[in-house]
Amino acid sequence: MSFLDRFNENWAALRKPGYYDKFDYAWTMTIDLDRCTGCEACVTACQAENNLPIVGEEEIAKGREMQWLRIERYWEGEYPDIKLRFIPMLCQQCDSAPCETACPVSATYHNQDGLNAQVYNRCIGTRACAVYCPYEVRYFNYYNHHWDTPLDQQLNPDVTVREKGVMEKCTFCIQRIRQGKDLAKDDGRRRVRDGEIQPACAQSCPAEAIVFGDRQDPDSHVAQSMASPRAYKVLEDLNTAPSIVYLKKVAADAG
Amino acid sequence: MSNIERREFLKLIGAGSVGVGAGFALGEANKSPVEFLVPYPIPPEEFSPGIATLYNSVCTMCQAGCGITVRTREGRAKKIEGNPLHPVNQGRLCALGQAGLQALYNPDRITAPLLQIGDRGSDAFVETTWGEGIARLTNQLGQLDDRSGVVLLSEGVNGHLAGLFELLMTELGSDRLLHYDFEYPEALHAANERLFGEQQLPYYDLENSTYLLSFGADFLGNWLSPVHYGLGFGKSRQDGAQRGHYVQIEPRMSLSGAAADEWLPAAPGTEGILALGIARELVAKKYSGADKAAWARALESYTLDYVAAATDVAADTVNRLAHEFMAADAALAIGGGAASGSSNGVDALIAVNALNYLVGNIGKSGGVVFNPPRAFGATSKTQRAGYQQMAELADSAMAGEIDVLIINSTNPVFTLPPTARFEEAMGKIPLIVSLSSFMDETTALADVVLPSHTYLESWGDHTPDPGVAFPVAAISQPVVAPLYNTRSTGDIMLSIAQQLGFSSALPWKDMETYLQDRWRSLYAKGAAGAESFESFWQSVLQSGVWGENSKRDSGPARLVTGAINKIAVAPPEHAGASDEFPFVLHPYPLNSIRDGRGANLPWLQELPDPMTSIVYGSWVEINPVTATELGVADGDVVSVESPGGTLTAPIFIYQAIRPDVIAIPIGQGHSEYGRYAKDRGVNPLQILAPQEEPVTGAVALTGTRVKLVPTGRRVELVKTGGVSRELGRGIVQTTGGSHENADHSAKLKSIPITVEPA
Repeated sequence: MSFLDRFNENWAALRKPGYYDKFDYAWTMTIDLDRCTGCEACVTACQAENNLPIVGEEEIAKGREMQWLRIERYWEGEYPDIKLRFIPMLCQQCDSAPCETACPVSATYHNQDGLNAQVYNRCIGTRACAVYCPYEVRYFNYYNHHWDTPLDQQLNPDVTVREKGVMEKCTFCIQRIRQGKDLAKDDGRRRVRDGEIQPACAQSCPAEAIVFGDRQDPDSHVAQSMASPRAYKVLEDLNTAPSIVYLKKVAADAG
Repeated sequence: MSNIERREFLKLIGAGSVGVGAGFALGEANKSPVEFLVPYPIPPEEFSPGIATLYNSVCTMCQAGCGITVRTREGRAKKIEGNPLHPVNQGRLCALGQAGLQALYNPDRITAPLLQIGDRGSDAFVETTWGEGIARLTNQLGQLDDRSGVVLLSEGVNGHLAGLFELLMTELGSDRLLHYDFEYPEALHAANERLFGEQQLPYYDLENSTYLLSFGADFLGNWLSPVHYGLGFGKSRQDGAQRGHYVQIEPRMSLSGAAADEWLPAAPGTEGILALGIARELVAKKYSGADKAAWARALESYTLDYVAAATDVAADTVNRLAHEFMAADAALAIGGGAASGSSNGVDALIAVNALNYLVGNIGKSGGVVFNPPRAFGATSKTQRAGYQQMAELADSAMAGEIDVLIINSTNPVFTLPPTARFEEAMGKIPLIVSLSSFMDETTALADVVLPSHTYLESWGDHTPDPGVAFPVAAISQPVVAPLYNTRSTGDIMLSIAQQLGFSSALPWKDMETYLQDRWRSLYAKGAAGAESFESFWQSVLQSGVWGENSKRDSGPARLVTGAINKIAVAPPEHAGASDEFPFVLHPYPLNSIRDGRGANLPWLQELPDPMTSIVYGSWVEINPVTATELGVADGDVVSVESPGGTLTAPIFIYQAIRPDVIAIPIGQGHSEYGRYAKDRGVNPLQILAPQEEPVTGAVALTGTRVKLVPTGRRVELVKTGGVSRELGRGIVQTTGGSHENADHSAKLKSIPITVEPA
């Protein structure tokens, strides 16, 4: 087989869901849309945990908001039979991620935990990954951001403060995952137990809509949650193999 | 410098204590001398560099009193989480609670005592010392022979600080001690008192209800205790054998309305009439209590046809709701929002209470459980002020009866409508002292500012309001050393008492000592086997909560004698003739910024409104049909005119609002309050017309009519959301439901949230 044939074969394999099949932990999140109230506690928690900057009104007007997690709202029907549906949208940590194929410098790659990891200091800011992402969950730092003193005292030392020119996105609070794994290793080289690691969004959600854990552990909360008949994935037909499973909202019949 | 010297040094400044639990308060006299610079390779005792120290405390960003655990690194607060052990929030926290860090580290905090040297309100403040600032106040108090004209106006305080206020005011000989919060559920308190004779708000057991009928209550957004109800909502949806069903009745879809299975836009202010229509059906078809005849008489005129005509809800629907309500295993009715804000607000909430009584859920799981008296807090010496009490205070001031006004962290100049004339009345008060941490509209009018710590720097305690059906309390402790030259409110009170010679009545040297003294009585009640008060205190600090885990047995539901005969809901009245002012104005608190308190927190300004995704401003919500009739589109600036005033704001076409209603969010429109809040948006409270709710005397929040006049100008609405229709993309999927829980088979065991190990 020529080099080109081998290359194409490997590339096709990479782009097919199922390429990554061995995970140390397969971090998965379920978001129950029947519980989500749209209160946005998760959005603020993420902002606090991950050193997300305030970009200001002008930048948001240009579409440059900087929130890794957003609540999307979709109206259904017409007044008075009108409904509003919320869905939290964040990086789906796709196992067959389009963004990973886009980056010319491999600044985004798939790690051993099934996460789509972003390497800030490798990123050269082509923004191709944001274009490839069908969920539009990648955010670019158009400027060096500024915190009015002393708001910078609040910055989390476990998380990088990103500079101008790099892409960023939800990391499933990889700093908490890393710390959880470290602590488990120190505690007799055991595996991380279910519930020990909570991303900021899951921890804060008042309605307990977000469940996080290792789907390879059949006893975990998230594995049981994924088994629900209501489970689905967003834009599933694009074959991105997301690691976030949504649970359909129940549209109860009136009466 | 040797280790021994460092430890001595740390002891000298009174820092550090056993393990978790002690924030260290550096008083002015004990500021660390600059020459003792000790490098971090010799680490301090209080923390290990690189490892987080967690402190439990209480969030006081609203009245709910969620327990929080604050993660600090190297003495700086980094993240606020919910305390998993606190029964109100059980480890969860809302956006406003998360943003408390930005209150602590806000660039616009008042950093030292201030004196106004120019005209009032001229922003000519100069820094002064604590000695001078307190002396200004105590000298004036000392000169008064009769101190009955001294007013202490505080935000709602649910802890022993309230007792400290009461002690001081008693010594001063004044009974003008008020707690004022815009969000105080005055109408709900009045309704509970009038029907059930209860002084406390009850515990609404949403978690176990299977049918929730909400008359305008935005319980997921800002009604009473949103985190607790959010928890309950989630559990009632998917953790029970039966999925809880939820109906919301309001003229404009709130955040809670979006979560409802059924949303009914009844005519504004008629929610109480709808409730009585349902009640009439309940009495006719199901209720069999001894007072049935009295109920039937009282509800006679609320026939389905009458109710349908009054509320704009079809008679069949009213009938269906009544039958669903009475057939449910655990039905619960709650009220708030437009229902409580109308001219018939108290009567409407009494009607909602009546539904709970008639369906027999008082004291039951999934129903209304009366709360025991709170473990501690304000007594009858404190007046919970609503609009009427504030207007009366303003009248007293105008009559020259008020000599000194001490304000603690409340902002009536912003939240009271101009009909109260509060700002004008302040002009007649000789001395105004503010204890706020921020230069808000009310504090800007002060003569002396004695800035208090934020809650993350203070000792304090708190009992949740409303309670959770059993006594619960939590201690709020400093999680960082005070950033600036501020003092805790309690310490300021004690200094004032000391200066005025009240040390025998208020003998404590600081707030921490006072709290410990008061908590000894809780300890004496038999505190769970703790060997000494010190170990009890440490255990409460370490867990973050104290409680007596026993649900109150409230006995059979009792009604106030004669209350049934008074049950009635009159049609709502609105200020302004409907031909001149065609729309009813529906102001509503923004989810995160609430009554304006969160407007100085940039995270909350940048947080897209869940319903509209708009950030950083105000807008006017109108129905699409109304927009077409007026010929306006998104961004068109309109003038909103009421009999009480005018404001201008851009239009936003809102899909779920009645055509005869317009809605404007509350919270923006500050003229002070820091760089993030100032000169941004509009405050709809300023155009409320004097339509009264007769029981409380309040200006009805939703009792004003307005007209819209397009100005011809356009602005761009700044929002993060794009197209708000799915257009067939199938992003949010729903499944047709029955009332059975689809995944009852996958019954999930509850996993406690683990806060990271210290």
